[in-house]
Amino acid sequence: MDIEGYTIPENLYYDKDHYWVRPEGELLCMGMNDFAQKLAGKIVFVQLPEPGKRLDAGKRFAKVESGKWLGKINAPVDGELADVNEELEGNPGLINEECYGKGWMYKIRPDNMADLANLIHGAEPIRSWMLEEIKKFAK
Amino acid sequence: MDLYNLGKVPWDDSQLIYHALADLGREGLILLSPASPYVCIGFHQNVEQEVDLAFCRQSGIPVFRREVGGGAVYLDGGQLFFQLVLRADNPLLPAAREAFYRKFLEPVVGIYRRLGIPAEYKPINDVVVGARKISGSGVGEIGAGVVFVGNLIVDFNHEMMARVLKVPDEKFRDKVHKTLVGNLATIRRELGDAAAAEWTEERLNALMIDAFASLLGPFETAAVDTELRSRADALRSRMLSDDWLVQRRGRGAGRDIRIRAGLHLLHRVHKARGGLLRADYELTEGRLSGVSISGDFFCYPPDAVRLLEAGLEGRRPQDVREVARNLSVRRAIEIPGVNEDDWAVLLA
Repeated sequence: MDIEGYTIPENLYYDKDHYWVRPEGELLCMGMNDFAQKLAGKIVFVQLPEPGKRLDAGKRFAKVESGKWLGKINAPVDGELADVNEELEGNPGLINEECYGKGWMYKIRPDNMADLANLIHGAEPIRSWMLEEIKKFAK
Repeated sequence: MDLYNLGKVPWDDSQLIYHALADLGREGLILLSPASPYVCIGFHQNVEQEVDLAFCRQSGIPVFRREVGGGAVYLDGGQLFFQLVLRADNPLLPAAREAFYRKFLEPVVGIYRRLGIPAEYKPINDVVVGARKISGSGVGEIGAGVVFVGNLIVDFNHEMMARVLKVPDEKFRDKVHKTLVGNLATIRRELGDAAAAEWTEERLNALMIDAFASLLGPFETAAVDTELRSRADALRSRMLSDDWLVQRRGRGAGRDIRIRAGLHLLHRVHKARGGLLRADYELTEGRLSGVSISGDFFCYPPDAVRLLEAGLEGRRPQDVREVARNLSVRRAIEIPGVNEDDWAVLLA
């Protein structure tokens, strides 16, 4: 759905840092949402840790840089890093071009798929959260 | 908020102390300057690709990888650093990055103006005098903190900056040097030697304290205490190790030296079916200039490369395909195994 110019698919799950999560069988695919990639500007670097790394929900596991700002990427759920998008190593700008497609970032094997319930999901919760965020970032 | 007004410090402390403060989850403003020169690279960079390590080793210039954004810089005592460490949940932090940079670079702009230098904020994170940059800055999210680092540039050694960088050849190094001289301002250059000499490090730091206090409230003077010292020492063993410095990043398809916002010097390489293509050029406000093409490909007529270079002058990277296509039709240019897509990739 379109929320004030940002494309935010309602079938995805979101963490409060604006990363989306999509179930794919036993794994979760993760990437940056349209709001975050637009605010970040041209992404110049995404850290791609080795698969197998242990992830703890809310804790940093990688870094991303744009506009001389080196930011943290926190794990959306507990689990293990299963795969990374190698394409981003040579072309991190894929996140800007296609944040829900070719610009996906990580695949996670969650400890418990039910942890998805801790993320923001569903048309109305997503809309009200996004509207609050847009207001907050406009200050 | 705590103020660490440390003056000249050993070069490694000029990086380790703010990393340690953020790591401890503490806040503060640190003012300091390195007692000896060093090269500092951004977290995302390949040191072997960015820095002439052999030269640095021979010259006794250490190299450090910081946990902050931005690129490789030559740092020395001619630059006065400010390092602001705030907790990520501090309500003083604007959520949007541009608002953050604008807010925390305002003191820097104000200080330069107090000196009579007409500095201005230029998004996203530059302070400029006309078209020349006069302060560098970057941000890193470290531990529970957000660290904003930057400098007042009293003097700058353009020659050493150009010397410590890894470049494809000496012609490119010369271009880097000239572009730096033309696009970086310093207090000494703007005010002249005599007037600049009156602005001692102590006086400039006093201005920084006043300017940042107007944003952050009054400071309490603090010293590097045992906790901070031991965390910095613990970080030293990790951050001065070869394992930390030499980390492979990205694919390394050339060089992109950001001189200031809107001005990059680039060296690019692309392997086309018909041979290797190389290009050195400037990208100024999104426009190509001074494009110099070389490589191991065949072309006809013999001046085809010169025609292409001239045709690209002032054009945008997204126009490259069209320029190459038009030239090949109008001037019957033939470069076997190299098509307009290759030129577009080379100059993307």
